[in-house]
Amino acid sequence: MDSAASRCLAMARLALGAAIFLVIATAAAPALAQNPEVRTTCNIHQGPCSAELAGRSVALEISPKPVKAMEELEFRVTISGDRLSEAPYIDLGMPAMKMGPNRVEMTRQGENTWTGKGVIVRCPSGKNTWFARVALPETGTAEFVFDVVY
Amino acid sequence: MSLMWSTESIYAVFLATGFTVGFGHCIGMCGPIVISVSLQLKDRPSFFPQLYYNIGRTITYSLLGAIMGATASFTRFASQAGGFQKAVLMFAGILIIVMGLAMTGWVPAGRIFQNAPPLAGFARAGFKRILDARRAVLFLPLGMVLGLLPCGPVYTAMIAAARMGMEAQSTLGGMLSGAGVMACFGIGTIPALLLLSQVSNVKWLKHRDLIYKFGGVMMILVGIYFTWKGWTY
Repeated sequence: MDSAASRCLAMARLALGAAIFLVIATAAAPALAQNPEVRTTCNIHQGPCSAELAGRSVALEISPKPVKAMEELEFRVTISGDRLSEAPYIDLGMPAMKMGPNRVEMTRQGENTWTGKGVIVRCPSGKNTWFARVALPETGTAEFVFDVVY
Repeated sequence: MSLMWSTESIYAVFLATGFTVGFGHCIGMCGPIVISVSLQLKDRPSFFPQLYYNIGRTITYSLLGAIMGATASFTRFASQAGGFQKAVLMFAGILIIVMGLAMTGWVPAGRIFQNAPPLAGFARAGFKRILDARRAVLFLPLGMVLGLLPCGPVYTAMIAAARMGMEAQSTLGGMLSGAGVMACFGIGTIPALLLLSQVSNVKWLKHRDLIYKFGGVMMILVGIYFTWKGWTY
C-alpha cells in the first residue's frame, strides 16, 4: 500500500474512532454530569417529607434516622384522601447518575398508610443526593430529593 | 420486599440495565481501568485481554449474585465488605499508577519493584505478571479482582439478587437465580467497556510514543485519584 493510501486509511480510522468516542461521550455525559439544578427538596433526617399530587398530600418518612446508605431502611408513605385501590411503590435513584432499577414495594398498614423495606446504595463518587419517586398507580408520582449519609 | 418483575423478565431487565448503565456509569467509573489496560498493552492485541478482563468481572458478579441469592440479604454483605472493597479500590489505583509509570518508560517495569520490601513479594509478582502478561487469559483473574470494586449499579443488581433469594423456594434456587441476575447485568455491561477498550487502542497510529507518554501521565493521575477514593471510602 502506498503512503497516500495508508495515510487515508489512518485518517478514516481516526475519524471512526472520533465518531465512536463522540457517541459514547454523548451517551455518558448525562449520566456523569452533576446537574447543577438538582436541589434537595427536603431534609429526610428530620422527619417526614410532603408533596402534593393530584389533590392528595403524599408524605414520605424513612427510618431509622439519620438515613444511611447500605443499611436496611423502612419507607412509610401516608396519603390523604380516598382509599387507594392499588399499592403505591417507590423508585430510588440518583439525579446525577443512573444506578439501575431499585424499587421498594409497599404493603398496606392502615387506611392509606403503606410501608416497605429497601436499601439506598452508596455511590463511590461521593455524591450523596438521592431521590425517592413515590408512584401512585393511575395518579402520578411525587418526587422527594434528599441527601443521605454515607 | 418482593419483586415487581417476574422471575423471567428480571433477567432481561438487568441485561438491559447493564447495557444502558455500561454506556453511562461504567465508562465513567471503570473506563480509566479499561483504557489503562488497553494502553499498557501497547503493541500487543487488546481485544482478547479485554474480553477476558470483562469475563472475569462477570464471573465475580455472578459469584456475588449467588451469595446474595443464597443468603437473601444484601445488608449482611454491605456491613462486612466495606473494608475489603476499600482495599480493592486502592489496589486498582496502585495498579493504574504502576501501569502508567511503566508506560511512560521513565521507570522500566522491572525496576518499579526492585526495591520493594520482601513482604510485598506476592503483590510484586502479581503486578509484574500483569505488566508482562503475554497471554490474554491472564487478564481473567485481574477482571475477577476488579469485579469487587465498589459500584452503585452493581449494588443495585445485588439487591435484586438478594430479593430473588427471598422469593426462591430453596437456597440452591436462590443461589442460581441470584447468580443469573448478576450474570445478566455483567454481560450487559461488556459491550460498552469492550467498545471503549477498542476505541482507546492507538497502536495503529504511527507517532504514538507521545500518546503513550501523555496516557501514562494521565494514568498516574487517575491512579492517584482512585487510591485517594479508596483511602476515603
